[in-house]
Order: sequence, then structure tokens, then C-alpha cells
Amino acid sequence: MKMTKTALCTSALICLAGAAAAQDTTLTYMLWSTEQAEIEQAAIADFEAANPGVTVEVQAMPPSDYWPRVSALAASGDLPDVMAMSSGFVQEWAAAGNLMDLAPLIGDASLEGYFESAVEIGEIDGAQVAFPQNWVAPVLFYNRTAFDAAGLDYPDADWTWEEFRTAAEALTIDADDDGTPEQYGFWVYGRYAQTDPWVFRNGGRYVTEDGAALEINQEAVNALAFLASIVDDGFAPRPLEMEGIRQQDIFGMGMAAMWVDGSWNIDNNRALIGDSFEWGIAQVPMGPDATAETAVAYAWADMLAVTTDSEQTDLAWALVQHLTGPTLSAADYTGGKVPAWTATAMTEEWLGRGQQPDNMDLILEIGTQPLYTGFTPNWSAWRGYAAAGSGGLNGELDEVFNGRKSLDDALDAATAYGNDILSR
Amino acid sequence: MTEIALTRVPDPRGRVPVSDTEPAVPPRRSRWKTWAPALLFLLPAIVGLLVFRLIPIGWAFALSFTSWRIFDDVAWVGLDNYAHILTSPVSREVLGNTLWFTAMYVPGVMIVSVTLAVLLNNALRSSAFFRGAFFLPYITATVAVTLAWRWIFSTRFGLLNHLLGQVDIDRIAWLADPAWALPAVAIVSVWKDAGFYMILLIAGLQTINPGLYEAARVDGAGAFRRFYAITLPLLSRSLFFVLILALVRSTQTFEITYALTNGGPNRASTTLAFYIYQNAFVHFEMGYASALAYVLCFVIGLITLLNFHLRRRWVHE
Repeated sequence: MKMTKTALCTSALICLAGAAAAQDTTLTYMLWSTEQAEIEQAAIADFEAANPGVTVEVQAMPPSDYWPRVSALAASGDLPDVMAMSSGFVQEWAAAGNLMDLAPLIGDASLEGYFESAVEIGEIDGAQVAFPQNWVAPVLFYNRTAFDAAGLDYPDADWTWEEFRTAAEALTIDADDDGTPEQYGFWVYGRYAQTDPWVFRNGGRYVTEDGAALEINQEAVNALAFLASIVDDGFAPRPLEMEGIRQQDIFGMGMAAMWVDGSWNIDNNRALIGDSFEWGIAQVPMGPDATAETAVAYAWADMLAVTTDSEQTDLAWALVQHLTGPTLSAADYTGGKVPAWTATAMTEEWLGRGQQPDNMDLILEIGTQPLYTGFTPNWSAWRGYAAAGSGGLNGELDEVFNGRKSLDDALDAATAYGNDILSR
Repeated sequence: MTEIALTRVPDPRGRVPVSDTEPAVPPRRSRWKTWAPALLFLLPAIVGLLVFRLIPIGWAFALSFTSWRIFDDVAWVGLDNYAHILTSPVSREVLGNTLWFTAMYVPGVMIVSVTLAVLLNNALRSSAFFRGAFFLPYITATVAVTLAWRWIFSTRFGLLNHLLGQVDIDRIAWLADPAWALPAVAIVSVWKDAGFYMILLIAGLQTINPGLYEAARVDGAGAFRRFYAITLPLLSRSLFFVLILALVRSTQTFEITYALTNGGPNRASTTLAFYIYQNAFVHFEMGYASALAYVLCFVIGLITLLNFHLRRRWVHE
């Protein structure tokens, strides 16, 4: 959806909402993070002050409680007015008719203050069913100190996969020659945020265009085979070797010199690495099979949605705009989570000047590219995510990276399992 | 001899008791008066039982014949869910994992708990410290202790592999190798639960007449012989009780799996209870999860029936 007109300022929205709130009204708002609820406390107080008679009742809980809870509320027709929505679930929630199409509420208002590609993530089958608050993208984290020591150039936009392999080999160091490198060139396991950026940057797809079935294309197979070869060649550890270590700490502990994962890991890196080494971020290199049409950046968004159970949709939409626009400051977005409101993302504060990495602008550049989430209904089941993270494609890829299964067998098993789920 | 005058209690239905030995039927009103307070006191429990147990159990049975993603419409699918469970390779793998876990956990926890109980009942009889120490894992928060076990099992930096390395045994990827993940869950489960069963068995041991041991000792029976000829037979009722509890618990293992392996690697440690959780509260396939729950119920029922059938052969009444 192309949205190019001028942005409505927040104060005008709040006034409009104020008019809607002629009498005492309670808006209910549920989200999956108690930390985020604390961050938003002041913004919600502002909203209530600007809308006399309106009270926003906030319920926050961990994700493991959130989804069963809102699902039960959906079943009983008691969804809150506004709810947090994940890219991973938005399709099935929209398909079930639980999310209101915001387009009529948006009307002629311009959304150009937002990252257009992030807004598009909330658009399902032509309906704007959710609105982004922040978005994240996987990036290639690299250890500059290790690159300097190996005499390598830093990754740039023109890096090829072969250059990546050469760097991974050079960065794998077994100084005591005991067969276990103290520093590997790379770290990868079957998690979506680690493998799928390579797949999508190679023009690969797991599912058919309508998302109804798993059909892993050759570009995806080639990308996964490339990653498996990096592990088989000993430039990345087998995942079973790293069991017991928090996977997001492996790069920060200096055990791997490169790592691809979501940009939200920037905060953890900053805390763990401190000044012990220099590090930066780069975009995942474009694959050899990709074309201008098929190569996409992988990204997903945390969004807010107005539910179809809401009886005060104008006010609910005003709250969504209030919490996704300029009200929250850059400090309210933990490192690597990009505010959907462009101006906030471009502040020096969010760009983290004076901190590592010194090239946060790169994430903003990714946001200007065509984005692809790869999510389908039941994604968490077939991909293997959260409490189902040991199964699905995730579990099968770990078998490949652990050297226990061929890639073909693993993909056959994952496809059969995924299609069984999608057909149910 | 004093004569006792018996008074016949009139039956409100007009029937007079024909003999003094026939119990008089209390009038209806007085019977209600007897039951009403009891019912009132029982009412909260009955309502709770109905609302939170019996109605959901019945409802889940009905749901097991439907396809219901929690916020979609309910669709009747007959026996499709059960047919899928029987034919799906994933379900069969999960059922196999459940049986394999039971085969490791039940003998393991019984051997450890009997050993601890006998030790505490004899050699360490007066030691409240050891009794408390062995019981402690049972009352400790599962997630907290499981995090400690994750470190113990860590492939590269784990205590267990460090100790194995001292005797030249290669590192084992306890939690990442499909062959070892389920045994690792069983080890932690046995460690955690053995203290509870130990307490039950100590209670059983303390009912055994010490005179029997004295007599056996006088007859020249050694410790081993006394254990097999006296302790085991006379402890068999407690052992039977522990066996039933352990069998049921083995099919319901969840928390340790969730925190230790998340059912991995590649579902190698996913057992039925964890699979039900995944289907119900991760994928929200309530109909399918309900069918799985009834399969679990059937498995537990079958094992329990089998046990009661075999009981006569080894339980000393």
C-alpha cells in the first residue's frame, strides 16, 4: 500500500480522539511485555490527560501467557480494544477476523512519517490489520578486532558469499592445535533469524506465494547447503558443541568472529562486549542466485492492532497512533529495535553515537529496501519457534549442522511435517 | 431382670416396623435435615470439581472429535484426530519417546528411592539432615534447578563432561544429541523425585516388625538375604503404591523437559504431555490437543489396569 500524504500531527489526533470520548470510557490494551508497559506508562498518561474521561486499562504479561490469554479472549469475543500483534501471528489473526481493517480509520491521513515497508508488514490481503510500533532486521555482526588481526577488509555491500567463506576460514583460529578452535569464523544454528536471512538474500523461499504450502525452492536449498558447508568445513562450530552456552553470547564471548541474528541483539552485545573488542554490523551478503527481483531483506515488526471486538474504534485507533508515532522517544526503544516513526529512528540518540556499533544507519538503510517476513499461518509450528523451537525446520537444520542428517533428508522431513500442519 | 420397654418408631409412610430388629426408617424431613448441612459444606468442592474438572473433561472429550483452532469455528471431524495420531510419524515418535522415558524413569526412581529409604532407615536412621537433603530437590523450584542442570550437562563447559574427561571419556552432547537428551531428562527427573518416593517408602519400612530382622539375624541371614526375604516382601504394598505414582508421573513429565531441552533436539525428548502443551498453547490446535490428552489418559489407564492385574503376583497382602 502506497501511503504518501502528509503526516497528521499527534496533537491533532489526540484532539480528535478527545471529541470521541464525550463520556467516561475505558480502553483496554494488552501487550506481551511488562518492560514495554513500563516504558509506555508516561505516554499513556499523556493520552488520558488529553482525553478527559478516558482511562486506558493496560494488561501486560510475558509472551508465553499472552498468546493463550488473547486466544481465549478471542474465542469468547472479549478481546481488548487494542492489542500487541506480532508479524508471526498477524496472518492467522487477520484470517480469523479478529483484527479491524484500519484503512477506513486512517482515511486520507498520511503515513509518510513511518517506514513504509514496516507499515506494509501489517497489510494482509489488502487490509491494514495492524500498525507497526518498531521493526527489526537480521544483520551480520562482525568482530573488527579479529578482522584487523587477520588482515581482512571489513564486510561491505559488495561482499560475496565466497569472500564470506574466505573470511570465515581466516578467522577460525586453533592456536593450541587441540582440534577445537578458540575462535571460529562464524556461528550459526537452525534458528529462523540466523539461517533465513541467507535464504531470502539468495532469492530463496520456503512457502508458495499464497503461503498455503511448503515448497522449498532451489535458491533456498543452495543457501542452506552453503551454511552447512561452512559448518562441515570447521569454520563454524557444530551447534551441539555450543550447547549450554547462551547462543546470543557466543559472538560477544569472542568464540565466533561473525554471526547473523536480529538487530535486537545489539543491546546484549553492548553489555557483554563492553570495550573488550571492536565490532560492527553489515547487511547479510547477497547470494549468488539472487536477482534484483528475488533478493529481499528479511525484517519483521512489533505492531499494534484494533480488534473487531472493540466498540470504540476511533479512540482505539487514536491510541495506536499515539503509541506508534513521535510520542515515544529514542530511549524507549532498546538498541536494535527501530522505531516505526522515522524521525525518532534518525535521532542521534537512537543511532547510538559514541557507542558500538558505529554504523547503526545500516539498519535504517535495510528499512528502505523491499522487506519480506516469510510468515504464514502456523509458522511457529512448521518453522520451529519458541516452545516448539526444537522441532520443525529448526530441529531438522540443527540435525544437518550437527552432521547427523543430509540436507535433502532434513528438508524432505521438514516439508512433510510443515505441509501436514498447514493442511490441518 | 429389668424389662426394657421398646417404642416403635412410626413410619411417616404409615408402615409400622414388623419387628424390633428392623431398623426404623427415619422420616423424610429428618433425613433431609441430616444431609442438607453436609451438602452445603460439600457444595463448594462439588461446584469446583464440576467446573474445573468434570465439565472440562467431558468438554475436552467432545472437542477431541473436532478441529478447533481456538478463535476459529469448531468443525466436527469425527475420528480424524485419533486417526492422525495413530498414523502421523511425529505422534508415533512422541509416543515412543514417552514409553522410552517411562522405561528409564520408573526403574531409575524406584531403585534410587528404595536405596535411599533403606539407608536412611538403617545406617542413617537418626540423621534428619540426610532426610532433608534427599527431599530437598523435590521441593525446589523446577526451573531453577533445571538451569543448574543445564550447566552440568553443557557440552563444552559442563561439570559432567569435565568429570568424564578425567577418566578419558569423550565429551557427550547431553542435551543436543538425540540419543542422550531423553536420558538426561530422566536423570534430572529421578534426581528430583526420588526424595518424595523415599519418604513414602520410609513410612512403609517403619511398619515392618524389627523382631523379624532379629530372628533372621539369629538364624544367620546376612544383610542381603534379610533385604530380599523380609524387606522387599513386606514393603511390596508401599512399592506398589510408589510404582503407580511413578508410572503416572512418567507420562506427565513436562516442566523439566520444557526448561532443560524444550523437547529437542529435533523432538528427541518431546513426550506426550509436552506435545499436548505445544499443540494446545503454542499452535492452539485445541481439538487435536484434546485427542492427544485422551490418548494419554488411555495409556495411563492401561498401564494402571495392567499393574492392578499383576499386583496379585508380587504384592504381599
